[in-house]
Amino acid sequence: MSKRAALLLFCTVIFSIVVQVSLLPVFIHPSFKPDLLLIIMVFMALRGSSEAGVPLAWMLGMLNDVCSGLFLGLNATTFLISFLIIKSVSDRLYAESAFLFVLTVIGVTFVNCVLRMILITMFTTSPGIVYSMLSVLFPLLLVNAFVASIVTVFPGFDEQVPST
Amino acid sequence: MDFLKKYMYPLLAGGCILAALLFFSLNVPRNREANVIERSVLGALSPLFQPVYRISAFVEDIRDRYLLLVNTHNENIHMREEIRALNMRVLEANEALLANKRLEKLLDMKKSVKEPTIAASVIGEDVTSWFRSLIINRGSSSGIREGMAVISADGVVGQTVKVSSTISRVLLLTDHASGISATIQRSRARGVVKGKGEMSCSLEFTARGEDVKIGDTVITSGIGGVFLKGIPIGEVTMVKRGEYGIFQTVSIRPAVNLSHLEEVLIVLRGGYE
Repeated sequence: MSKRAALLLFCTVIFSIVVQVSLLPVFIHPSFKPDLLLIIMVFMALRGSSEAGVPLAWMLGMLNDVCSGLFLGLNATTFLISFLIIKSVSDRLYAESAFLFVLTVIGVTFVNCVLRMILITMFTTSPGIVYSMLSVLFPLLLVNAFVASIVTVFPGFDEQVPST
Repeated sequence: MDFLKKYMYPLLAGGCILAALLFFSLNVPRNREANVIERSVLGALSPLFQPVYRISAFVEDIRDRYLLLVNTHNENIHMREEIRALNMRVLEANEALLANKRLEKLLDMKKSVKEPTIAASVIGEDVTSWFRSLIINRGSSSGIREGMAVISADGVVGQTVKVSSTISRVLLLTDHASGISATIQRSRARGVVKGKGEMSCSLEFTARGEDVKIGDTVITSGIGGVFLKGIPIGEVTMVKRGEYGIFQTVSIRPAVNLSHLEEVLIVLRGGYE
């Protein structure tokens, strides 16, 4: 990853966290708050390299946990697994496709939710959270798809990301 | 070595996942405590969170106030409409009360009149300024004919002219063409009340020597067969006796306020085809 790409990514991540923590909760109903870090992770999984992507996915998940999660490492694990799943097939896909990006975000949102539920059920004694997750799953799918579709109209979305 | 090269990616991925799971599982028991990572990340980001949140809260406050104003405006409109509706109801109630009083008086007059009568409402006035007449909502289908007496609770109004099947025109006693045989109630002096237009009348053909004073009540004499005897016509407002001539000039103010007349009684007697 070039320095410019790394700086852009860093700024995007910080901006996303600030927006998600300070801006969106004020204006948007909690059920319709998009998971911006997940969308960044999907973008990286489809377009970035594995070497930088694996630790970055884990770190994005960690950031998500720090800012919102009760269990540190929960989102980090699910982000990592989701990243590895996407990365295992992304080389065979037309990763610049906007439609594929939106579709992947929807799929990863769902997979991430399922993984979280499994991990919570396996490792914790808080089954009530599962119900809360299920109740916001559908709105989260919709809003993530919406935000992902907005991301696709950003200039330079269909450009190749420099890997070095 | 070949094995490692072949399965490098799955092994690395598995290792990473295992490490992540291990990290997660180690942190589960301490889920209510912030560790070093959390503390440092939150500490680093907090300078960004606070101003953005304040700005967001400020914007939200403005938005809420604006929405509140919109609601207040809508509420204001709604309440104004309600007040208007209530005012209309109050006006209707007052109107009904006044109509009730007028009709009560009219009913009293109806009882005092020995002949059959029919009530009618005024539905129009003459459009010309030289002809004093009203239009009422009763006609020949109600038994009204031309030349019938029209009275109200306060006294004489006029007589019917130009009767159609559903409406009639009433020639007011103030019209120049109107003439009603009258008597001064106090002195019994006789004369003919003629209209002068402009909502006033005069008592004519009253001999110079007759006793007529300002404030005397003028009533119908019953002569002529149109009006029954004793119905108030008006009040003497001016008496003038010249040096010469055999009659005196007497001005009368009608007992009925003709400009605010709404209900009348038609005496179903006499008249002509």
